[in-house]
Amino acid sequence: MRKCDKCGAQNATTHVKTIINGELTEYDLCSACAHKLGYTNVFSDMESDFSNLLGSFFGNVLPARTQSTRCEFCGTTYAEIANSGHVGCANCYTLFADRLNPSIVRIHGNAAHCGKHSKALEQEKAAEKEKPKQDTVKDLQEQLEKAVARQDFERAAELRDKIREMEGSK
Amino acid sequence: MSDIVISTRVRLARNLKDYPFPCRLSRQGREKVIESVRDALINGNSAIAGDFKFIKMNGLDPQQSVSLVEKHLVSPEFISDSEGRALLLSKDESLSIMLNEEDHIRLQVIKKGLALEEAYDIADKLDTLLDERLEFAFDERLGYLTQCPTNLGTGMRASVMLHLPALEKSKVISRISGNLSKLGLIIRGAHGEGTEPKGAMYQLSNQITLGISEKAAIENLKNIANQLMIQEEQARERICSSIDVRDTIARSLGILRSALVITHDEALKLLSNVRLGISSGQIKDVTAAQVDELMTAVEPATLSVNLGKSLSPHDRDIERATLLRTKLA
Repeated sequence: MRKCDKCGAQNATTHVKTIINGELTEYDLCSACAHKLGYTNVFSDMESDFSNLLGSFFGNVLPARTQSTRCEFCGTTYAEIANSGHVGCANCYTLFADRLNPSIVRIHGNAAHCGKHSKALEQEKAAEKEKPKQDTVKDLQEQLEKAVARQDFERAAELRDKIREMEGSK
Repeated sequence: MSDIVISTRVRLARNLKDYPFPCRLSRQGREKVIESVRDALINGNSAIAGDFKFIKMNGLDPQQSVSLVEKHLVSPEFISDSEGRALLLSKDESLSIMLNEEDHIRLQVIKKGLALEEAYDIADKLDTLLDERLEFAFDERLGYLTQCPTNLGTGMRASVMLHLPALEKSKVISRISGNLSKLGLIIRGAHGEGTEPKGAMYQLSNQITLGISEKAAIENLKNIANQLMIQEEQARERICSSIDVRDTIARSLGILRSALVITHDEALKLLSNVRLGISSGQIKDVTAAQVDELMTAVEPATLSVNLGKSLSPHDRDIERATLLRTKLA
């Protein structure tokens, strides 16, 4: 593990990037030095917040600039979810996945569902299974174009034959 | 030993994919959700469906709704706002489906005694039946999608109601509850979130719903319930030999059999003592089942609903004492 750039003794846990007058500087700090220099983890106060207040599960993860994104299905913004502790609809879980995830991990640990499955999922999977053939031909065509572009004609010929074969078998 | 566990409950939270969750759902949307679920149930397996009563919450008077809470058939939150909410309730009151509570569907199975597998089995069958006819909001990684992320995954909350008078008297409950949270379980007063335990009734339930299967969560809960039962049993042996405890038990039954006016809190406290006396063998002419029934029957709203009239608090205390004297005579 990389050592702290300041004290050189402890393992670095914090990576700091600064841009001053357009000049990028990067360095690694241990937690003690990071704290001394004021680079505390912006999320560090979340845990204490979480313990009691249901409504503030998401309270501290609010990035100001994207607050106005609204779920196109139910009209909820992330700020509203953060304030109420209530997610608006199934689509919100996809739309705000990045921001909801840290909170979900805090509640349940870093885990994936391993219980009963709704039939909805089985249907989705069955629908996906019917598609792969078309996808493959499309994929191969893309690969072919790339092969031609980098003048790898041997590979291009291979791909061309494969595509012909697949289209013939339709 | 079996008389330590009063009842078992398994609750599943489900939402329909095509509607916003209840916090974002219009009144028309709520009505549509209610219709869809009701139709799915009634057009589903007739063996189960014929058994359900459909109750619109805004059609109940306040006492009737509070009584449903006292019988643990619905949550206190559910009756706080009756608009756009409905209940599907089986005739024997062992199955209930709250519609548009925190989630579109809150399906609940109640069984007497410790019966986690049996209760889950019934809940699972009912859920499968609804799943065949409705589109549930489900994600491969997050499982069943719920309005509150604390229920993601299985959406299952399983709980057992335990009578723990001896552990309560020896003040070990708070120590136990700290350890339980590490196991993803929680113990609290039987009347749900934020209530003081009454009559030494506690509810032990699972807290974690994501990353653990229904079976594993239930197994976990069963193991801890069994351990609590053993500890309670040992604590009972220790305290019930004391003359002071035996005196308290005897007096409690005496008061219940002779009081003319009795408050809800006092009744629950005394019934809890009597229940302890039954299990230690000190009281032989009353059964635990009788006491359990009385514990619900003496609840304020249930008392009024059963008598078919609304009562002032003082009149209620008189009726309660009458009920107790008659039933325990």
